[in-house]
Amino acid sequence: MLNMWRISWRNIIQNKKRFFISLLGIILGTAFVTSMLIADRTTNDVFNYYEQMYVANADYWVLSDEHTYPEDDVLPLLSSSEVTETLLALDKQAFLELDGDQTVNQRAVRITGVDNQDSSLLKLPVIEGTLDNKGLVIPDSTANLLNKKVGDTIKFTNMGEAKISAIVEYTQLLVSPGDWKGAESSSFRMMAPLELLRDWTGMDNELSYVRFQTNGEGEKLFQSLQSEFQNSHTYIQPVVADDRQSNDIGGLYTFFYLIAGLSMFISGFIVFNMIYTSVMERKKEFAIMKSFGYLQSSIYKLILIEVSLLAIIGTAIGTPIGIWLGDMFMQGLLGVFEFDMVYSLNWKIPTVISVIIGLLFPVIFSLFPIYNAGKTSVLLTLKTANQTQSSTKKYITRVVLGAVLLFFIFINHPISYIAIIVSVILLFPFLLMLLKWIFMPVLKTFLGYSGNLAAQNLTQQLNRNANTASILAIGISVILLLSAVIESAPEGYEKEIKSTYGGDLRITSEAAWTDKDMTRLLSYDAVENVEPLTEATPITWETIDGMNRQFSVFAVDKDGPSLFESHEKDYLYNELAKEPSILLGERAFDEWGGNIGNYITINTPSGTQQFNVVDVVKTSNYSGYVAFMDENHLNNEFGWMNNFDMLLTLNEGYSGDQLRNPLWDDFGGHLAKVETVEDKINSTTSALTGMNELILIMLVFVVGLASIGTANTLLMNTFERTSEIGTMRALGLTKQQVKKMIIGEGLLIGVSGVIGGIALGFILLYVMSQSKLLEGFISFHIPPGSILLSFIAGVSLSLLASWISSTTASKINIISSLKEG
Amino acid sequence: MIKVRNLKKEFIQGQERTQVLKGIDLNVEEGEFVAVMGPSGSGKSTLLQLLGGLDIPTEGENLINQNNLNTMSEKERTIFRRKYIGFIFQNYQLLPTLTVEENIAFPIHADGSLTREKNKEIYELMNSVGLKELGRKRASLLSGGQQQRVAIARALVNHPTVLLADEPTGNLDRNKAEEILGLMSKFNRESNQTIIMVTHDIFAAGFANRIILFKDGVVDQLISRKDEDYAKYVANFMA
Repeated sequence: MLNMWRISWRNIIQNKKRFFISLLGIILGTAFVTSMLIADRTTNDVFNYYEQMYVANADYWVLSDEHTYPEDDVLPLLSSSEVTETLLALDKQAFLELDGDQTVNQRAVRITGVDNQDSSLLKLPVIEGTLDNKGLVIPDSTANLLNKKVGDTIKFTNMGEAKISAIVEYTQLLVSPGDWKGAESSSFRMMAPLELLRDWTGMDNELSYVRFQTNGEGEKLFQSLQSEFQNSHTYIQPVVADDRQSNDIGGLYTFFYLIAGLSMFISGFIVFNMIYTSVMERKKEFAIMKSFGYLQSSIYKLILIEVSLLAIIGTAIGTPIGIWLGDMFMQGLLGVFEFDMVYSLNWKIPTVISVIIGLLFPVIFSLFPIYNAGKTSVLLTLKTANQTQSSTKKYITRVVLGAVLLFFIFINHPISYIAIIVSVILLFPFLLMLLKWIFMPVLKTFLGYSGNLAAQNLTQQLNRNANTASILAIGISVILLLSAVIESAPEGYEKEIKSTYGGDLRITSEAAWTDKDMTRLLSYDAVENVEPLTEATPITWETIDGMNRQFSVFAVDKDGPSLFESHEKDYLYNELAKEPSILLGERAFDEWGGNIGNYITINTPSGTQQFNVVDVVKTSNYSGYVAFMDENHLNNEFGWMNNFDMLLTLNEGYSGDQLRNPLWDDFGGHLAKVETVEDKINSTTSALTGMNELILIMLVFVVGLASIGTANTLLMNTFERTSEIGTMRALGLTKQQVKKMIIGEGLLIGVSGVIGGIALGFILLYVMSQSKLLEGFISFHIPPGSILLSFIAGVSLSLLASWISSTTASKINIISSLKEG
Repeated sequence: MIKVRNLKKEFIQGQERTQVLKGIDLNVEEGEFVAVMGPSGSGKSTLLQLLGGLDIPTEGENLINQNNLNTMSEKERTIFRRKYIGFIFQNYQLLPTLTVEENIAFPIHADGSLTREKNKEIYELMNSVGLKELGRKRASLLSGGQQQRVAIARALVNHPTVLLADEPTGNLDRNKAEEILGLMSKFNRESNQTIIMVTHDIFAAGFANRIILFKDGVVDQLISRKDEDYAKYVANFMA
């Protein structure tokens, strides 16, 4: 009895090399999709994990716009029956007492004193030691940098000393620099018992905040405390898990899906090529089957089983590889960030999804060949040879459509990118012909007559060869684009940061700045101007969907520092001044989900209020996850009085670094942070440099996958031309010459793909750089490193791909191939 | 010029061994036009493949102008084939992407020996096979008869020692076949071209000077065309 599965299996393994290459395409495609899905989920988990760690079990917290407030202010809260657990905290700036020659700013440390280190309102991931409420809790990175372990003592200048009782993993509450260079611009953070910190500082009745958990009546308590605190410096906020101010990783997810989609597309093309050629080769077989009563559906079933077998094997091998690759990718990705983050691989759901994708995409890409196989005409097939040449009419349609779509270069719309890519695919046969004409003399010089034949053979399956080269081109162009964006982004960020930072230096204090402080600051030779900066933080608000979010609100006015970009700044300042209203940064606006003119609900220190959203603006502050309000309204209606930050503008010839030590010397008693605009630029762009390396690795992978497509196509071409190659051998072409001929074909496809890819990358980059949507953020920047790498990878991998086919071609048996002809 | 001694060829497929040639002895002199006839499976095409160096015998000697093809390496045989052997196949075996001119010049290009002189010869050859106007046309666009003319020109372009033709008229009608055979005969007479042709067709064999009749892998009879009853012998044999 006929077993369809057995017959299908025999069919797919009939040509082992082709089977292997097609399988490799599915394996790699599935592996890439799996790894990118895992990377997406795991990255999401990592940031959720740290958000949850920051929130812990706390529901609300009481803070102050005056850095600290008396503990007596919250005594009724602490004894309230609705409050189930509390955590009292006091922040204090201090300096480490070190033996080395570290500068004052490198020794700056912010100590948070808490009344219970082991509270469920804090989640401290302990690596070593215990949370005993007796000693210090420090992050792992600080322990390594200071070369300290549990039980060692840390001294603080003019305060005292304490033993380390626990070392913990990275957590937002204790974010600290990992090296001394980083310590130049950011303080260390440590946690101490509250009583100990109060002993050292004498701030016996002071608190920076109180976190608490409620027993279900929280909302009522929140509202009553809101009205209670309305005219005081203390205010209440819900504790919200939202770290979008410190993480801007939205673009990363797009990157993951772009790579996954691209890999799937290339793998699909490989499968399509394989099944299509197989169907074309077996048309006669199908005709015979049909003549003996096989139904169209039986032929569909036969091919479908073949594809399914390939998909099952490819997915079974590709998915575990993808999980491993995902792990490698996550290590590389998280290594890019400044902090030592831990992750646990979220592989289960991505694996299920990628198994489904792995099983489905080969079938989807094979639908046309399957349909074609079923439609085989018995009489026509048995009478005539296969027709593979495309008609002139089809070519004309292709060129006209391609040329029309190319005009999208001049249309400023995201859909243009897709139109341009489709246009390039359509026009690729002509590019291939042009490049063939250009490269023919070169090939002839290096490969002799074989080079000449290679160029001529290219036209025999022009569409297929062009499609293969265009796949390589799309892969290269997308990666080049990403690389160019990442390379040019620092420049864009730098421009944006400089224009919206508001000065050259931002200094943060624990106490509100006084007029005396300002006079002292202005007395520095380096300082040209000093502007107070009012930042209300943390402030919680609601999205249109009713989700709680958290950001900062900056005070702005037309005489103050420039904190955002807009073409109609004066108008906006006037609008903001008219009535309590707000401007949103782009990311905050997107997250909010409303429209300009709608009202946003914000939990202000003066209670829950609604503000009209006047406009959305570009700003580098917290990567746009921020809001702006008129200074008077922020002070009065909003209820935020104090400013803890100063923006310093420096005189020509001075740098922020020169001011660090004098500032720490003069204001060390209450200075919390000194950040130069260069620090801000460096911290924003450092991750991008690491990302670029990842992109280059992805470039090699994508080019590698596309080269498997090239190998597949060349193998198809070789098998289809068995008789022709046999004739050439019979007429005196040596094996070496045959090899050279196939290598020449592969080289032409590869070089065309690379050149086409670079050209397409340039076009897309040009269109993007002109885009009003991106407002000049992406400049027309040519990434030379990536171009060189794509050229080397494209050409060498195409050579490798063609070498595989060339060995097959050179081994063709002359006699049997002549019989086939 | 061609000396074949005790030539044997055995094919092994799985457990089965098939002896296609069982010890052939044959001499072909320069300028001879020999037709090889025999029923299907008698080994005549295998003999042609061995003479052309496309395959190597299991045993025996195969000398063309004192050159023993059996002792040559694969590469040496290929180069020898390119220089000294011309092939004509039943299904023409033209290269579809090349033009008529390029197809004819293929062996010279493969050799890297194209000169102005050779180019001139190619045009003369095209002229002599009646393809003067078709030089730049794609080979795949020609009729069967025209394609076989291209194949003849290609086989002769290097002035081969021997022209091996395997059923050259098998795919053509009588008129076209006569044209092709006439052309081969012309080159045999005028250029003293040695030709060995495998055929089923008694009419085609009539153009040869000598007929070798094959049966079960051995030479059954050698018949000269001078023999008045050769047609009767052949007809009886083939029957």
